Amino acid sequence: MTEPIKVATVGDIEDEEAIVVDGETNGTGADIAVFYSAGRYFAIDDTCTHEDASLADGWIEGEEVECPIHSARFSLCSGAALCLPASIPVRTHKVELRGDEIWLYPGVPVAEAVTEVTP
Amino acid sequence: MTAPREVAIVGGGLAGFTTAQELRKHGYDGRIRIIDPEGVPYDRPPLSKEYLDGSMPAEKLPFVPDSWYADNSVELVTERVAALLPAEGRLTLAGGTELSADTVVLALGGRARTLPVPGGDLPGLLYLRTKADADLLRTRMVPGARITIIGAGLIGAEVASTAAKAGATVTLVDPVPVPLAPICGAELAVRLHAMHAEHGVDVRCAMTTAIEADGPEYTVALNDGSRIVSDTVLVAVGIVPETGLATAAGLATDQGIVVDEAHRTSNPAVYAAGDVARIRHSDGTLLRRHEHWESAMHGGQAVAASIVGLDLPQHGAGWMWSDRYGVHVEAVGDMVNGTPIVRTVDGVPVTAFRMESDGRMIGACTIDGGTAIRAARRIIDRGIVVDPSKLADATVELKKLAR
Repeated sequence: MTEPIKVATVGDIEDEEAIVVDGETNGTGADIAVFYSAGRYFAIDDTCTHEDASLADGWIEGEEVECPIHSARFSLCSGAALCLPASIPVRTHKVELRGDEIWLYPGVPVAEAVTEVTP
Repeated sequence: MTAPREVAIVGGGLAGFTTAQELRKHGYDGRIRIIDPEGVPYDRPPLSKEYLDGSMPAEKLPFVPDSWYADNSVELVTERVAALLPAEGRLTLAGGTELSADTVVLALGGRARTLPVPGGDLPGLLYLRTKADADLLRTRMVPGARITIIGAGLIGAEVASTAAKAGATVTLVDPVPVPLAPICGAELAVRLHAMHAEHGVDVRCAMTTAIEADGPEYTVALNDGSRIVSDTVLVAVGIVPETGLATAAGLATDQGIVVDEAHRTSNPAVYAAGDVARIRHSDGTLLRRHEHWESAMHGGQAVAASIVGLDLPQHGAGWMWSDRYGVHVEAVGDMVNGTPIVRTVDGVPVTAFRMESDGRMIGACTIDGGTAIRAARRIIDRGIVVDPSKLADATVELKKLAR
């Protein structure tokens, strides 16, 4: 587990978009994608568990992201693989809003990887 | 009709596996067997790409980790089915064993089509349907080896790319000047087909008239009079649906196993899905068989919903992908009809759309288009009418148009 890090400020990540915090920066060795969708922030491992693709580049809608290559869908809340070709979940990471700062807890899983709704 | 208690799924490809997975998701708690001589169900798209070139290990091919089968009480029977006896609620395995099954799902896919030319039945010709086929083909893809690929459709084109990358000397034969135009539209199919020659593949637009074997060498004769000598010949000219078991059991077939919208065959205790199934709508229209990955998954989902008595899942425009020469191709919907709108970047076509006269989009194809196809798919399925000038403008994010 690594220390929480400030990764963005509210407004930096547009609706239904994501940013990638690379593995070296976040300390887990694996890239983490931080999403803003459905009025909330979520963080999951960025790399699809099926093949090498960045989920941050995928189709983000509601509480799901669809891989940009083979359309496997993952839950932003739980990391669960929702359809083939993926069957292995991605890891979730806790996200916390401190004022308008977005803090990521790399390696800290959350059953419901959700922060407070933005003001 | 009483609820089924024993489902036997014949064929462990995507349609068969999806049926099992979806049955459990729906809470079906009866017996499920997947019967396939190849054993653990695995995914086939990598066989012409990542698995063939060695970048994906064999452990990544199965749909799910092995523990899934025990966790979900899905039994794997590693054998071939010899006969169906639906009236008696049984089926027979090749070894003679009989299994009881009140519901049978036929998900047998197809076998490789052979070339109807002299020498088309030579035993040394290669085909690509299974992991074992890919393993054998890989051993032939060594630097300097001469490989002739007959058929430049999806599998032929992908193998040509993989073989060229491996350093083999590749000749690609197809009588169609621009293969894949029906799937990708001519606008992008031309660019895709040109990639073969750009990567050193010798492309021949010709019919194969004969194949001869002479020791370890094969000679492929073409109707332009030329002859290609190579060490390996891969025949990739499509599939023949595996309808044998269905026909023997008296089920209706017509270049595929005929099913209704619920994927039920002419015997209500037998379903079919995937490449082998051919849907006949209630108005009598017989659709073409769909030989794409997602379509097989949707078929399995429909079968599972039918078995447990749920509403059939609704699916929009069909989607496919291909990978070759380091580019990722995706297409959705109908790229045959409609008027094209093409997005270009530096004069190169990257995305093509097909539009109806009323402004609706009916199809889209893209090369390395990111989320473009996902956006197009929503535009098509939701009937969103988009400003054509924005569609043609590569600087306008399609995602914004689909919201």
